[in-house]
Amino acid sequence: MTMLREIAAELIGMFVGETRLTVSTLAIVGAVGSFVNFIGLNPLVGGAALLLGCLGLLVESVLRGARPQGW
Amino acid sequence: MMSWSIAAPAVSAAFLASLVEVVEAFTIVLAVATLRGWRPAVFGAIAALALLAGVVLLLGPLLDRVPIGSLQLAIGVLLLLFGMGWLRKASLRAAGVIRLHDEDAIFAAESTELSKQAQRRQRNLDWAAAVTALKAVLLEGLEVVFIVIAVGAGRGLLLPASLGAVAACAVVLAVGAIIHRPLSRVPENSLKFGVGVMLSAFGVFWTGEGLGIAWPGQDLALLLFAALFLAAGLGGASLARKRSMEFA
Repeated sequence: MTMLREIAAELIGMFVGETRLTVSTLAIVGAVGSFVNFIGLNPLVGGAALLLGCLGLLVESVLRGARPQGW
Repeated sequence: MMSWSIAAPAVSAAFLASLVEVVEAFTIVLAVATLRGWRPAVFGAIAALALLAGVVLLLGPLLDRVPIGSLQLAIGVLLLLFGMGWLRKASLRAAGVIRLHDEDAIFAAESTELSKQAQRRQRNLDWAAAVTALKAVLLEGLEVVFIVIAVGAGRGLLLPASLGAVAACAVVLAVGAIIHRPLSRVPENSLKFGVGVMLSAFGVFWTGEGLGIAWPGQDLALLLFAALFLAAGLGGASLARKRSMEFA
């Protein structure tokens, strides 16, 4: 049972290393998907937003990780 | 016809990611073997490999039934989350904010834990050692399976990606058999950095395709994405180093 729990935790940990980064990434994917498929945004603009959004999130997350706790 | 512009990154991503995971699993299996002998270590490792093979045999046929767009989107999002997580950690390690992965320290910690178990109970020790090896191979192996499926399934590259993973296993086992100690000199963080870059680039690519975005340059767009993620990771690490020094 403990091992199953550890495997489940490992699987979740693979994709949810840092909650804020995970939630923000999912939000960007959801927003781009909605704008492209339901509002008719040019797919290339959506693609650029997806790429730049992910790059921005990555840098922000790294910088946040470098800040001491409590800041 | 296989496109090498996408097959080469897929195979190298599978190889390098598997190399990192197999090194981690090997350290623990070696610790088990050193303290309790090769029998429980090999038994645990083989049992884990059998379980992993079962997972692959179960999931493989199911993947063929999923429409390609949905498969690309699902795998793309998972790759993005996984790849950016690795890249974030590798950047923070490169910046000196979090400690580097140390195979020697892990070997020592695992050996201590097994010795404590030996003092607590004398019975079933081989069983406990086998379970330790099984757990290590299973947990690291699950990541390898995911990476192989993720980089291979979107374009029918499962076989080349699997060969990349098998090659990594062969390399680690061959080197491990020769030197017979933890592979602490493998530049693990650099490998993780590179793999994080590739997986993130694949993630954006598949997610976009799954959302109906036709990338200009098709597969070649992957190279641009990888270059941008590399720049973002290195830039983030450099800024994080400066920031952590300001706070120190």
